[in-house]
Amino acid sequence: QQVERFLAQLSDFATMNKISLGPLKNIVKSILLVPNGALKRNLSSEQVKADFIALGLSEEKASYFAEQWKVNSPTLTRLAVGQTLMINQLIDMEWKFGVTAGSSELEKVGSIFLQLKLVIKKGSQLENVYVELTLPQFYSFLHEMERVKTSLESFS
Amino acid sequence: QAPSKDAVRQLCQECFSSPPAALGPLAQRACPGLAAGPEEAEQLVSALHNLTRHVVYCGLTRAEDILSLFPENFHQNLKNLLTKIILENISAWRNEAQASQISLPRLVDMDWRVDIKTSSDSIIRMAVPTCLLQLKIQEDAALCGNNPVVSALTVELSKETLDTMLEGLGRIRDQLSAVANK
Repeated sequence: QQVERFLAQLSDFATMNKISLGPLKNIVKSILLVPNGALKRNLSSEQVKADFIALGLSEEKASYFAEQWKVNSPTLTRLAVGQTLMINQLIDMEWKFGVTAGSSELEKVGSIFLQLKLVIKKGSQLENVYVELTLPQFYSFLHEMERVKTSLESFS
Repeated sequence: QAPSKDAVRQLCQECFSSPPAALGPLAQRACPGLAAGPEEAEQLVSALHNLTRHVVYCGLTRAEDILSLFPENFHQNLKNLLTKIILENISAWRNEAQASQISLPRLVDMDWRVDIKTSSDSIIRMAVPTCLLQLKIQEDAALCGNNPVVSALTVELSKETLDTMLEGLGRIRDQLSAVANK
């Protein structure tokens, strides 16, 4: 879908500048290899500039590209990390809590329950998981998650 | 006719805990200890079951309330013994009833681990911490009888997801304190 959009932009560019689309596509394909490789290997903007110059680009154009790289690479890196494999990724969490008023075994109860709905991405599908927690379990869960946060922060 | 007070105590507990369907076999097992015939044993077990469940259902906590449940000419010492046993067990039985009520699948355990992702097909070198959370979830006990099904679900959370989740959990905590303080 994004590929189609990109191809559409390319063909617009070709018509605007009166270049034929076929050769343009090949050129763009080769050009894209440079940033892709740079992203994979976390190259700095000086390294990218050096690569382009080695490939034959003029100093001025290579500098321009290196500047663009410096500005955009954090976003590009984040996108690449985001594309990295995740197992059963947690997408969303909804909750409700309420009070059990009575049951077939106990006429008057008055106990609080917490229900969580976790939306999980399994492969390409979303799955809903429903869990009920007692109050002590909830507090313990909250405590553990805060410990996880501390741990993740110490590694960032 | 029971051999000892402890035997009575045990019988009461078994009668409360067993579901109506299991009372028959329970009665048969109790027969020899009580030196009673099978029909008598069944009646006894059934009566004890109903009595204990009724007390727990209504939430009776005072000896007088329980004593008043017995018929007029009931044996005095037995009545007092049974009342005493019931009062001893009331809060444990209440918890048991609450634990077995119908509900959504319940969380029974939770473990977590923090991994550092060092490499992937989209980036060759990185150091991205990620959290793996394993939840052990038990299906509704009433549906599974004596073999509850526990499944383990492993979920991965990025730092951003964890932060959002903690925000949500914090809101739950605030709402809970608001309710508790009302």
